[in-house]
Amino acid sequence: MDVLVSSTLDAFRLLFTGNVEIWEIIGISFRVSTMAISIAIPPALVIAFFLAYGRFFGRRFLISLFNTFLSVPAVVIGLTLFILLSRQGPMGDFKLLFTQNAMIAGQFFLCLPILVSMAHAAFQSADRRAWETARTLGAKPVYAFFTVLYEIRFGLMAAMLAGYGRIISEVGASMMLGGNIAHYTRNIPTAIALETSKGNFAEGIALGTVLLFLAFLLNSLLQYVQGKGSINP
Amino acid sequence: MIDNFHIGFRGIDKSFGKILVLDNATINITNHDCIVITGENGAGKTTLLRILAGLEKPDHCQISIDQAAAESWRHLRKRLLKSIMYLHQQPYMLAGTLRRNLEYTAKLNPAIVDRESSVNKALHWAGLQALETHPSASLSGGQKQRVALARARLRDPQILLLDEPTSNLDTESRDKTLQMLREFRDCGMAIVIVTHDPDIFGSLPNGKLHLDDHRIIYHDSRIVDLDSVRKTQHK
Repeated sequence: MDVLVSSTLDAFRLLFTGNVEIWEIIGISFRVSTMAISIAIPPALVIAFFLAYGRFFGRRFLISLFNTFLSVPAVVIGLTLFILLSRQGPMGDFKLLFTQNAMIAGQFFLCLPILVSMAHAAFQSADRRAWETARTLGAKPVYAFFTVLYEIRFGLMAAMLAGYGRIISEVGASMMLGGNIAHYTRNIPTAIALETSKGNFAEGIALGTVLLFLAFLLNSLLQYVQGKGSINP
Repeated sequence: MIDNFHIGFRGIDKSFGKILVLDNATINITNHDCIVITGENGAGKTTLLRILAGLEKPDHCQISIDQAAAESWRHLRKRLLKSIMYLHQQPYMLAGTLRRNLEYTAKLNPAIVDRESSVNKALHWAGLQALETHPSASLSGGQKQRVALARARLRDPQILLLDEPTSNLDTESRDKTLQMLREFRDCGMAIVIVTHDPDIFGSLPNGKLHLDDHRIIYHDSRIVDLDSVRKTQHK
């Protein structure tokens, strides 16, 4: 019990005294995850839109496929990309393995199915008259698409928050693709795993606290967004 | 004032799966027309309207715009969406205020130079000035109908299609709607109305169609000879 209390106190000291290494790890985490979700959002919205409003062969299969990808473990995505990006792999020439770009790629594939599935559900639940009204008022397809996005913005924000929550805390893909290199690819989850294995509980707790705080923040935002969406549909 | 135009739809067939919805329906529309379409529930009235609006693809149809046959459905839909506006039975209000709904429409009409003034005129015309800052979701059915018609005024289409525009409206809102429609027709806009109660529209319509068993069984001789027009199959 004493170890836990003293480690927790040390953790807060590390956080609030501006420990450079800790804040560098936090910075890498946020940078990589923000980049990954930013890249994933545009294609996810377009895919979700076509899955919801399109009528084409294989649509139902694709919906099932994206729903299946929701439950794929991060390590499996990490392993697949590791094989592709390793020196002997088909994309080895790009020399991406153990870089932040590789971590971004891993997190991209982790959050894409979440974004597609949740955005698809938002499009499905949207009133189809929104699209038709925009078109019949003279909007071209792209403009009508953005109109519908605005109409379902609360559902989409929930999808983005859920996707961000998933990738900021994942450890498997980041560890395999980033290699947990200090000052370069070490992010919060990989650092927690490392520090805990070394017995440095204070660092682990400090970083875990940041993740917990972030999870709380994202959930609060989600509650707020969903509440707002139900008031003003 | 809207320029002269003529749009002809001939031999419209439409099925949803194995369910036949429209069978060889024909309709011709020119400016100043006001056509009322009646029929039982499920007769295919709304589907006909949606096909005319370019929102639903027919299984087969010959279409001529200003006596010229259209090519592909994609090209045709583009032209239909450009010149025709469709109003849902319960008009959809975009998120935000009533004014935002009108500003959105004004923004899409390249002919409108002074957006603010046009929106203000449309608000005044529809008697909605007092409600302009209200959230559109909070409007009543009659108010939403007036917003939809104000949007139509800003959109200024050649043809306005209305699906049961007077259902669930009180007498005052209904009279206001009829007055607005009359003004549209006087400006040269063609109006096609689907309704269960054609008598409400009094002397406004100059043509009536009745859909029975998915076919138009009564009309006022609006068929033009499109045989010279190249047949276009849309499948």
